[in-house]
Amino acid sequence: MSWIDLQDLLLQQHTHTLAGSPELQHADLIEQSLRFAGGLKQRNIKCIALYLLDAGDLALALLGAWRAGVQVILPGDMQAQTQQRLSAQVDVFISDISQIHDFFTDPLPAAALALDEPLLILSTSGSTAQPKLIPKTLRQLHNELQVLEQLWGQSLQQAVFMGSVITQHIYGLLFRLLWPLCAGRYFIRQHLPFAEELQQHSMVCIAQQRPFVWLCSPALLKRMGSNLDWPQLAKVAQVFSSGGALPEKSGLDLTEKLKQSVTEVYGSSETGGIAWRQGGQQWHTFPQVCISQQENGALAVCSPWLAVETEYTSDAVELLSPQSFILKGRLDRVVKLEEKRISLPFLEDSLQQHPWVAEACLAVTQSGRASISALVVLNEQGLHHLRNSGRRQLTDQLRQHLSGYCEAMALPRRWRFIEQLPLNAQGKIIHSQVMDSLQQERPKLPIVKQVTGADFNWQLELKIPHDLAYFSGHFPSAPVLPGVVQVDWALHLAQQHMSLPSDFAGMEVLKFQQLVRPADEVSLSLRFEPEKNKLYFAFTMADTPCSSGRILLAGQHG
Amino acid sequence: MSDLHLDLKNLIIDALGLEDISVDDIDNDAPLFGEGLGLDSVDALELGLAVQKHFSIKIDADSKDVRQHFASINALANFVASKQ
Repeated sequence: MSWIDLQDLLLQQHTHTLAGSPELQHADLIEQSLRFAGGLKQRNIKCIALYLLDAGDLALALLGAWRAGVQVILPGDMQAQTQQRLSAQVDVFISDISQIHDFFTDPLPAAALALDEPLLILSTSGSTAQPKLIPKTLRQLHNELQVLEQLWGQSLQQAVFMGSVITQHIYGLLFRLLWPLCAGRYFIRQHLPFAEELQQHSMVCIAQQRPFVWLCSPALLKRMGSNLDWPQLAKVAQVFSSGGALPEKSGLDLTEKLKQSVTEVYGSSETGGIAWRQGGQQWHTFPQVCISQQENGALAVCSPWLAVETEYTSDAVELLSPQSFILKGRLDRVVKLEEKRISLPFLEDSLQQHPWVAEACLAVTQSGRASISALVVLNEQGLHHLRNSGRRQLTDQLRQHLSGYCEAMALPRRWRFIEQLPLNAQGKIIHSQVMDSLQQERPKLPIVKQVTGADFNWQLELKIPHDLAYFSGHFPSAPVLPGVVQVDWALHLAQQHMSLPSDFAGMEVLKFQQLVRPADEVSLSLRFEPEKNKLYFAFTMADTPCSSGRILLAGQHG
Repeated sequence: MSDLHLDLKNLIIDALGLEDISVDDIDNDAPLFGEGLGLDSVDALELGLAVQKHFSIKIDADSKDVRQHFASINALANFVASKQ
């Protein structure tokens, strides 16, 4: 098998087919790339943005653009906001192969690609609105590709490359497209986000007795079900995983099913590949990568595929040797959710820009799957909307607002509305308490502000929680405290202060006069008459009666 | 609404942590993914696993129309019923 350096992909040719459906021959790839390059040159294009999910189409577009000296931005999506953000620097947005065909004209002559121009701009796999743009030269890509081939090329031979990740980000671009392209290995054009699709393509390889490799994300690897044909899939030559850590349990599970360990690659858009491992905690650096620890405990990296001398990460690290280390988590509040980088401070700022929000604090919680949860203090206007339109309408509005700043993936699924964020003496948010609040179910009891009284006569000052669970009942768009809950609270709170018979035996003269809504402050009067076994209760709000009645009790005193 | 439809809706709400969504918010015919409920590709993976586990059925990995089974509640109900 022959290797062709990245810069020479228009000068030299692999003789065998590069990809299928539709078939891609290297000679055709060169011819079409040069015609695309001619068109770009003729129209004096300087910068294009590409979003092409077909890796073969992307290869054509990249080689053509680079031959014409045109800078390529690879955004994570092609949403209107993304285009808007990039519009100042981008001449053309291309998301369909037909747009490339429209450019075809007389070809430029084949030539080596410029190695030291920043011809590629990657965007971080962020799901916040301001993904970082990271310029790369082809020399950086070339240097890293050579190391990948040096590490694993020998064992992969003529394996078919297929994967679940898209080629818009560094991992997919390098591993699913540029590496097989330089090495002359067959690649599957489409990304295969579902395990069933991965299996279907694997089965084709098995039937043809061709080895195959998976380039996957932890998001897929940790969700591969028992419905798959594992004895067959175990024929996979190697499984790569990158974009985030693969949970240890998933790694062990896959090792058992596949009879081999997944190869995890650690790196980022900024740093490129840094290290790899096959099981265990310990990472081994790529050849030519130097590591050190910064004063704040985070990892610093030097390598021939960096644009700067040293790249400083925010990942805490424990160095074991000059070539190995253990990762200890992020030092900032940037989290990874299914391989998407999410800046919690950015999302909090975005949320606080909403006219109803006073303060907000976000965290990642686990309920079914990991997702973002939001602890929110509403301002007066927000409270007004909660009281008049209900919680569902409120969370819909807030999610809608945030969707202007992030992908759907990062939208909070769990919301808790409280009076104030938990702060320490220095006025800093206590994140552990935020986490506790977010993990708790919504409250079912009132906040007791003050209690006075004695014997069988008590007066309680209560505040109705913003987020009371009962407000999502039968009238979710009109949150009112149900009468049955008021009776229940009266009995429950009375039992806390008085020794009462334990059994509920009925009710008398029940009256509901005024609605009680979120954030209302109410007084509760409780009086028990032992000789009649009757508990008298009355809820009032600023001396206006809300509800009152008598609860009949029976049985032993509690 | 049949018991199976209701069961599937509750499964979606629980498995995907959609606490502000009620079963009444999920239309039998509406697309499950993309707009609407705001579910993404990871939800699709989660739901695939949850459905297999909850109903003790297996999704035929070689079938070409796996995606169509998850298009809507109606499609999913038909699929689950055919497997039981």
